[in-house]
Amino acid sequence: MSKEAQLSVAERDFILEALRQDVRLDGRKPDEYRPLDISFGEEYGHVNLQLGKTHVIVRISAEVTKPRDDRPFDGLFNINMELTNMGSPAWESGRSNDLEAAVTHTLDRVIRHSNALDTESLCILKGVSCWSIRADVHVLDYDGNLTDAACIATMAGLQHFRRPDAVVRNGQVIVYGVEQRVPVALNITHKPLSVTFHTYNDSKHIILDATLKEEQAAEGDLVIGINNAGDLCYVSKIQGAPVDAMAIVTKTSVAWEKVKTLNATMDKVLQADLAKRAKVGMADESRATNDREVQPE
Amino acid sequence: MVGPTASLSILQRADGSATYKCPATGYTILSAVNGPVELPGRRDALKPEDATVEVFVKPGTTTGGVGERAIETTLKSVLGDIVLGREKGFPRRGVVLTLNIVGGENVERGDSYLTLLPALLHAGLLAMISASIPLSMTLSAVLLGVTDSGEIVQNPSPAAAKSAVSLHVLAISSKDHLLLNQSRGRFDFDTWELIRARALSICQGAANDGDVAMGEGTNTASVNGFIRETAEDQIYSAYAHKLDSI
Amino acid sequence: MSAPVVLLPGDEVPHDRLPTKNSNPLRLGPGLRLLSQPSPKAGDSNHVLTATQAGLLTTDAKRNTVSLLSFPNRRYVPTTNDLIIAQIHHSSIDFFHCIVTPNTAHALLGQLSFEGANKKTRPMLKQGELVYARVQSVGVGAGAEVELTCVNPATGKADGGLGPLAGGMVFDVSTGMAARLIRASSASADETDPVDGLIILGELGRKLESLGGFELAVGRNGKVWVDCSNAGEGSVSVTVAIGRCLQETDQHNLHPHDQKKLVTRILRDMKLVS
Repeated sequence: MSKEAQLSVAERDFILEALRQDVRLDGRKPDEYRPLDISFGEEYGHVNLQLGKTHVIVRISAEVTKPRDDRPFDGLFNINMELTNMGSPAWESGRSNDLEAAVTHTLDRVIRHSNALDTESLCILKGVSCWSIRADVHVLDYDGNLTDAACIATMAGLQHFRRPDAVVRNGQVIVYGVEQRVPVALNITHKPLSVTFHTYNDSKHIILDATLKEEQAAEGDLVIGINNAGDLCYVSKIQGAPVDAMAIVTKTSVAWEKVKTLNATMDKVLQADLAKRAKVGMADESRATNDREVQPE
Repeated sequence: MVGPTASLSILQRADGSATYKCPATGYTILSAVNGPVELPGRRDALKPEDATVEVFVKPGTTTGGVGERAIETTLKSVLGDIVLGREKGFPRRGVVLTLNIVGGENVERGDSYLTLLPALLHAGLLAMISASIPLSMTLSAVLLGVTDSGEIVQNPSPAAAKSAVSLHVLAISSKDHLLLNQSRGRFDFDTWELIRARALSICQGAANDGDVAMGEGTNTASVNGFIRETAEDQIYSAYAHKLDSI
Repeated sequence: MSAPVVLLPGDEVPHDRLPTKNSNPLRLGPGLRLLSQPSPKAGDSNHVLTATQAGLLTTDAKRNTVSLLSFPNRRYVPTTNDLIIAQIHHSSIDFFHCIVTPNTAHALLGQLSFEGANKKTRPMLKQGELVYARVQSVGVGAGAEVELTCVNPATGKADGGLGPLAGGMVFDVSTGMAARLIRASSASADETDPVDGLIILGELGRKLESLGGFELAVGRNGKVWVDCSNAGEGSVSVTVAIGRCLQETDQHNLHPHDQKKLVTRILRDMKLVS
C-alpha cells in the first residue's frame, strides 16, 4: 500500500461545510500559516523545520567536482528529496511516489531554476573544478504542505551554509579546512519561496498551508513562487478544479505578503544563530589563547 | 566522557520513533517504526507465520548505496532476532524501520558502517520499544577500537577509528547473549577475549573482572541501563496522570 | 500503594506484584506472556510472566488481571470486544471491507451484522462511510482476518450505539488517549473524581450544555466521532472546538488543571463563549 488512507465521507463533508462558514479544523484563518519553528543543527546548513505537524530536516553539503562540459563556468546545485516510511506509514522507503515528484519539481523550479543560488560563483577553475552544492530534504513527519516547508527549509539552509574556502595557486586548487580559513557563505541572488493554496467548493474558498486532511478534501491546488521584490518565478495549476483568473491575481499578492513575513522570520532566526555562533567562537578563541599562555611553563 | 542522549516518541505520524545521539562519535540518528502494517507486494511469502522486519538506512547528505544496503542486512538480522513476530496481529505483517542519519560525518561511499552500527542498533531498538513491537528482550551494543599500543578504546572518534589497528562491534542482549560480533582489522584471539569481556561490562555494567575496571573508570552506567532509563522516563511522563493519583 | 514498576521487554513480572488472594484464574493483558508452566508443588506463585513490551505494570485485584500500559502512540492492534470506528473501503457480496487503521489489512463486517438486518433491510453503506463496531474475532494464525460486528450477538441489539455513524466529524487521537476517553466516558456522569486525569469531557459537557450539547463515540483505534447537530447554526464551531480540545490534551498530555484552561481558551477562540 502506498497511498494515504482516504478521507471518510464525514470528514470531507465536514471540512467543506466548515470552510463555507470560514472555519478551519485548527481554528486558523484561510490565509494563515501554521506555527513555524526553524532551528539549526551544529553543522552549517543543517536546518530543522516544523510547520505545524509537518517536520523536515534539510542538510546542505558541498564537495569539489568537475563542472559539466557544456557549462564550464558553472558550479553544480542539486536538491534531493527521498520520501521514506518515516514521514508517513503510507510511503514506501526507496520508491518514489507522485508527491515526491511534485514537490521536487516545485523546489527545482522555485529555487534552482530561478537561480536563487548563483551557480557561477561556485566555479573554482574554469572547466576543471567547481563546487557541487547538494541539499538533502528529509521528511520526518508529513501533515500537508510539504512543498512550502521544504522550500523554506532549503532556502534557510542555503543562507546558513558555509563552504570551505578554496583558491587556485599555480593552476592547483587548494581547499582550506574549516579551521585554517573562515568558511565562506554562498552567494544568494534573491530569496524566492513557494506559497501553496488549495481550493474548495468550486474555488469559492481558497486556503493557505493546508493540513493533510485539508489537502485530501481539496478540489485543486495553486502554487505560487515569488520573492521579496514581488518577482513571480513560478505559478503552477497542474490539476483539479479551475481557478478564476482574478483569484490568482489576488492570491499572488497574498503570497507576496506571506513571503515577506516568512523571509523576515527566517532572517531573524538566522541572525540569532549567527550571533550565538560568534559568541561560542570567541569563547573558543579566548580558551585557545589561554592554552598558549600556559604552554611555556 | 559524555554519555549518549536519547528520547522516544518524538514524531507524530510514525507508530514509534526515537532519536539517539552519541557525542563520542558525533552521530545523531533519527529512527521511526511502523508496524504491524501491510507490506506491498508479496514479501511475506518466505515466512508466512512470522512478521517481516524491514530496515531502511538513509544517509544525511548522500544517496544510499551499497554500504547502506549491507548494513541494513546486518540490522535486520540482529533486530529481527529479538522481534516476536508471531504475537497476535503480527504474522504476515511488516515491521518497517527507517533510520535517518541526521547528524555527524558521512560514511564515504564504499567505506564500512562499523563505526555507526551501535548507534543505529540503539536507535532502532528504541523506536521498536516506542512502537510497542513485541520483543523477547532488549539489547545493547558497543564500538571498541584497539590502538597500536594495544589499548582498548570505547567509542573511538571517527579519526581515532581510522587509525585503530582493529575495530569491533559487539551487541549483547539483556540476557547476556552475544547477538552480533563484527570486527575489522588484525587481532588475535586473546585480544578478542579482552574485547568481549570489556563489551560485556560496558553493556551490562558487570565490572567485576580486574582487567576490565581499568581504562575510563568514570564509566559507571551501563548501556543497558541507559536504554532502560530512556524507556522508563518516557513511560513515566506518558502516564503521569496515572502516577499522580497513586 | 507501592512504587510504580516499569518493565522492559524480557523483564519478569515481580511475584510480589501479582494479585494473590483471588480464586479466579489470573488474566493477562496485552504485552505480557507466560513463559513456562508453574511447577505443580510450589503453587501458582511460580508463574514466570515476562513482558514483551515496555510499559507500566498495572494490576486489578478485583478482576484478578495484570497488564502492561504501553506507549500511547502505538498502532492499534485489534483485540476481541474492543469498540472501534471503522471506515468502509468497499463491499463484496457478504461483507463490508473496512479500514481499522491505515495501511493494514481490511477487517470484515458482515452485511447482516446490524440490528434487525436481513437481506432486504441491510444498510447500503458506501465507500468512506463510518460505522461504530465491536471486534468480534481476530482469528488465529497467520493471515487471519479480523471480523467486526454492529450487533450484540446475544441480544441481536445494537448496544451502546453500534451501527453506521451519519454526519458529524471524526478526529484522530492516540490509541492511549482513546482508551482513556473510553474509561472516562463509561464512568458514571456524577462521579466527581477525574478518571485517568481526564476532566476534559466533563468540562466540555458543562460548558456546551447550553449550546445543545454533543454526542461522542470513541473507537479504540484512535478515532473520536463528534456530532453536535443539536447545536444548530453553531454546530461546526462546537465540533471543531471539541476536536481541538481533545487533540491538544492528547498531544501535550495536559494536566487536569491545564485541560480546564484549554477549554476556556479554545471556546473563546472559537467565539462560543464571551
